[in-house]
This record gives sequence, structure tokens and C-alpha cells, in this order.
Amino acid sequence: MRAVHYLNQFFAGLGGEEAAETPPTRLEGPVGPGRGLAAELRGIEIVATLACGDDYFGEHEEDALARLIELLEAERPGLLIAGPAFGSGRYGFACARFSRTASDRLGIPALAAMHEENPGVGSAEGTLLVPTAVNVAGMREALPRMARLAEALVSGRELGPPDQEGYLPRGFRRNRMAEKSGAERAVDLLLDKIAGETRTEVAGGFDRVPPPAAVPDLSRALLALVTEAGCVPQGNPDRLPTIRAQGWLRYELGGVQTLASGEYESVHGGFDVTLANEDPNRLVPLDTVTALAADGRIGRVHDVFYTTTGNGTPVASATRFGREIAAELRDAGVEAVLLSGT
Amino acid sequence: MTAWELASFPSELMGDVPELEGVRVDVVRGGDPVRITHVLDAVEPRVRPDGRAAFPTEGTAGEGRTNRLDGVVVLSCLDFPAEERPLHEQESVVDLAGPGAELTPFAADTNVVLTFGAGNGLGNEELEAWARSTTLAVAEDLARPTLDAASVDVERFELGPADESLPSIAALMQLSDLGPLYYQYLYGVPVGRAGLPRAVDPAELLDGAVTSGEYHWAGLRNATIVFQRNALVRTLYREHGRRLRFAGLVLMRGYEQTADDKQRAATAAAEAAAALGAVGAVITTDAGGNSHTDVMLTVRACEQVGVRTTAVVAEMADPGSTSSGLTDWVAEADSIVSAGNAEELVPAWTPDRVLGGDTLLDGTAAGAAGPIPVRNYLGATNQTGQHALTATTW
Repeated sequence: MRAVHYLNQFFAGLGGEEAAETPPTRLEGPVGPGRGLAAELRGIEIVATLACGDDYFGEHEEDALARLIELLEAERPGLLIAGPAFGSGRYGFACARFSRTASDRLGIPALAAMHEENPGVGSAEGTLLVPTAVNVAGMREALPRMARLAEALVSGRELGPPDQEGYLPRGFRRNRMAEKSGAERAVDLLLDKIAGETRTEVAGGFDRVPPPAAVPDLSRALLALVTEAGCVPQGNPDRLPTIRAQGWLRYELGGVQTLASGEYESVHGGFDVTLANEDPNRLVPLDTVTALAADGRIGRVHDVFYTTTGNGTPVASATRFGREIAAELRDAGVEAVLLSGT
Repeated sequence: MTAWELASFPSELMGDVPELEGVRVDVVRGGDPVRITHVLDAVEPRVRPDGRAAFPTEGTAGEGRTNRLDGVVVLSCLDFPAEERPLHEQESVVDLAGPGAELTPFAADTNVVLTFGAGNGLGNEELEAWARSTTLAVAEDLARPTLDAASVDVERFELGPADESLPSIAALMQLSDLGPLYYQYLYGVPVGRAGLPRAVDPAELLDGAVTSGEYHWAGLRNATIVFQRNALVRTLYREHGRRLRFAGLVLMRGYEQTADDKQRAATAAAEAAAALGAVGAVITTDAGGNSHTDVMLTVRACEQVGVRTTAVVAEMADPGSTSSGLTDWVAEADSIVSAGNAEELVPAWTPDRVLGGDTLLDGTAAGAAGPIPVRNYLGATNQTGQHALTATTW
């Protein structure tokens, strides 16, 4: 198996801070820590080392990544290994970004190594990271760990849990059987909390979206209807899923004043849709907003509505839907949105 | 509080299943290569020696003695007529072998599978009422032979005096009332009309006072057997006088439909816990999404009146994403038990036999389905803490 190793200018032997502006460079075979790593690797050969100055990467990230990807691809490797960057933030960031990009763009398995508090950890986005000591004194310990994870990664078998395989938890939630029932664990957690030691099996923390400023003059505004109620034309022609929608849909209203029963339905899987289907306006309140527009209280009603199924939707997907829909609405000059949730 | 005794009898005593018009009956056992689909409810066979109903609609449960058949579960299956389907996506699977078997622990038992036909022109609600009442009656009939037999074990549920220095802990159990086919029942009354929140003797819950007619996501909903065998109430009984004092059980409603109602219900549940003298409460969930918001508001309301909380919730995290699997969260919810990630996929498995219906709701053949999400396995991510499944960060 052919592997490429990534280092910064210092570990590649190109120089210290004075060489931090070095653009991406290819070196033959293993270099510096790569020699120690090569000695640990079984069945994996480091065919080339790619190096880049820390400042160059930070200041020209897109260019640096494009060039590194080009150099990487030319090696036809089965694996990319980056670092160890220990506690160095700029180096850790480059290791994480290059590894992530190699996986995303070329589909090459990648791993990087750094201290768990290295700022680069936040840029890893699911990339495998081997935890190391905070400084270079941890080199001897880090290299065998990187080699073991590299071997596991290219073996084709499914990776086990982080503590067993030696990588930092990436944020994926995986099931396992605990030793005690949830009930017993709940009682344990509660008694510990009352005794002063609070623990949790799930970390919370959502972003809270601040409400936008009020619409200055609704009587002149173009208002659009958006819903996550799964409202679609009867028969669901575009096959919007009942749960875990992967996208959103846009439907022309064709100038109608109301959503007729039998012409629209809800395919949402999270509530009883019987009453909603008797009057689809209760999901997408077109009848009400057109009446308000006729009274002059709303400027105009946008002749397109947007819909998705908000049911079991991951926050990341919902955020993407929102961004995409908002961009279209802004382009259409929409100033106000009535978003009906269920 | 009164004492209640639960007497266990061996499964060999199970009575014959009566012939039922329009119902197919199969008896299968844990380990058999069988997949059961469209599962509505799971019920443990119970009967009372004093002649009162095992699933009472009047009087009080949790008094005297009740007999149970150990290791037997009645599963009811019904594929609702598609054109009338009130709520999409409600697949409910039990596998007796293969990779999904461990997700429904009662699948280790002897399963009496009742498959209700839907061809007699009844509407969904009538079909459901027929299936539910028949299933509870069959569960009672199956246990009847225990009346003339000797029990192998008797458990006594009684909350005697306990050391006042031990922390006083309540259970706050959420029950659903989301409309037709989404009701849980307290003494036969949909919980939305049962005066919740309400403190009951915890033995009432274990003794058939609460039954389920709620068919939301299979993994996240509480079937009748979850109340009959409830691990949380049993744990609190067991720890009473040891590590804690069991202050009592508050039944509260989930799926309140307006923001005001949700807040009002949360505040009332917290007040009910405080009225029991609880300094801490375990808060449980039924189904998800909307009801997770009810749980989070209840956590906040409890903490605000000085009742410390631990909540039990399932996660719904995309297996390919690192974003949170919690549907809702408040900062006060700093102690949460994960009942597992309902969105993880269970590897494909090919059973020798399929009961309950050959086609899954997504149109695939039940015997040759691909991977099935954990949420479709009945009880897999149970949010009363019934099972050991949990999720950790990878």
C-alpha cells in the first residue's frame, strides 16, 4: 500500500519560522518523523512526503490545498498520514484541512495526529485524529499509534470505538449495550447529581437563532409561505419522504387563493394528517394571507411556496434547507416569510 | 400505601389460545428465524385470583395479588388499510433472531402472535379498538391456568418507612395522547382526559392501569408491557430504603398541542413532583419530536422549583453526521440518559418466516428487506429506561 506523509516546513527540515512561507513541496520518500513512522508501518510504504509552510497554508488555504491535492493525486496513494502536529495550531489546522479535503475530493483515506486541544481538531469534521502529547516529546509514543490506526484504516474492516482503536471521538453517535438498564443508569446519574457530581450521557447545546428585525411595512412587503408540514400536491409527485427528507421542494401556486382539499395533502410522518388533509390551508395558510393581501395588510403573496418534511431531520440538513430556501427567497425579493411548523 | 404482590408462574402453564374470527394465531419462540411486522402492542399475560380485571377500567390496580406468566408475550399485529393510514411511517418490527433480536429484549420469550385481518370493512379506529381489546383479553386468558397452580416466585411491592436522610426521588412518566391511534390509556381512558398530571401508586402502573394504543415510532414508544415490567419503577422500589426514598410516580401527558399548554403541563408536573416531597425526579419520554419538547420543558420547570432531574431520551442522530441527535434541549438538562440512537441501521437479515404481514410500509418485502433503522424495532430505544441500549460518541 502506497502512502503519502504530510509535514510542515519545520519537521520536513526546510527551516523554522523563516521558512513558514514555503509553498507546497514534494520530497522523495519518508522525511524526518516519517522515517520513524515508516519503521513502524507494516504493509504500508511512505512513497513521498508533502510539506508546506504553516503561514503559507494559513494565508493561502485554497491555493495550498489545490496544489497539495494535485501533488497527492500524482502519487496514486491508498492513504494520507498527516503530522503529528502536537499542540501547534497552524500545523494542526493544515493537517486537519488537508486530510479532510483528500478524503472529500479524492476519496483517499486519511488520518492526522495532534493534541486533543489543538485548534485543528475543530476543523477535522469527521477525519480520524490520533491524540498525541502537547509537544514533540511525545513523538516516540505518537508514531506507533499512528501506524496502528493507519493499518486499521486500510485493512478494510470497520473501525471499532475510539478508545479501542486509538483515535479522538469524532462526534458520531453509535449504539452499544450498557452494563445496566437505562432506568438504573438514570437513578445512578440522579443520585450523583444530587450528591454534587453532575454527569450526562448526551451533551446538549444548540445554536439559538436570534429573531430578525421586524418587517418595516408589511402592507408593502412580498410575503412567501414556507412549511415543514410535508404539504405537497395530491399524490406526492416528487416523492417527498415522510421522514428524514433529504431536501426541499418548490411549487407554483398558479395564482390560486386557497389550497383545495383533494389537490394538496400532507405526507408528514410525525402527526395525524386527517384534519390537515381536509383543509390544506391549515398547513400552508394561503387562504388567510390572500385575504390579508386583499385587505391591504400584506403587500403581495409570493406565487410559489416551499415545503419539506420536518420530521427526524438532522440539524445539519435543516440548516442547509434553510440557507438554500432563504437564498431563493431573497433573490425573488421576498421580505417576509410565514413559516408554518408542526 | 397498600401492598401488592406479583406472583410468577412458568410459561408451560400457558393456556390454549382461543379460536378468534379474523385473527391468525402463531406461537413462536426467541431464537426462531422469524421476523414479526406491523406489531401494535406487546402484553404480558396476567390474571387476578380475586376475579377483578387484569387491565382494569374501574377500581384500583396495584392492590392484592396478580399472577403473571413468566417468559410469555402476546404480540398484536395489524396492517392498517393504506388508504386510511392516519400517520405515515409507523413500521414496527420484532426479530426473534439475527442482528435485530437483541433490540427487543422480550423477543427472547415465547411469543403468541395475533395477526388481525383488515378485510372486514372496519375503519382504522374500529380495527384498532377490536385488536386492542382482543389482545388484552387473550393475555388474560393465557394466564388463567395459573389460578390452579403453585407460583415459583412472589414479589411484594410496598413502600415502607425509610431513612429520612435518604434523598426522596420521584418518577415522572410521560404518556401520549396525540389523537386517534395515538392514545395511551389510564384505566381505559385516553390520558388526555384522565386528569394528568396525576400522582398514582407506582404499583398501579406495574399492575395494568396503563395500556397502550399508541403507534408512533416503534423504537421510541412505550408498549403495554413496558409499563407492566417497568424497569424504572422496579428500580426505585428496589432502592427504596437503600440509596433513596421512592417518593412516588407522577403520570404526565406528552404531545400537548400548544406552547401555552406545553408550559402549563410542565409546570403542573413539576408541582406534582414537589408536592410528593421529591428532591429529584427521573423524567421519561414517550415517542419523540414534539414530546421531547414536553420533556425538556418539564426538566426546566422541575429544576426551577428545586427538583433535580435526570431525563431519559433517545437520540435521532444521522449516522453519517456529527450534529446533535437531540430533538430539543434546554440548558437545565445537564443530566441525560441516552436510550440509544434510533437512526442507526441494523444490518440486513433474512428470516425463514415472516408473521404480521409480508410487506413493510415502505413497500419492501419483509423477508428480504435491507438494513432497517433501529427506530423501527419495537421498544429498541425505550425512553423509560427499560433496556440497556445507549449511544456513545465515536
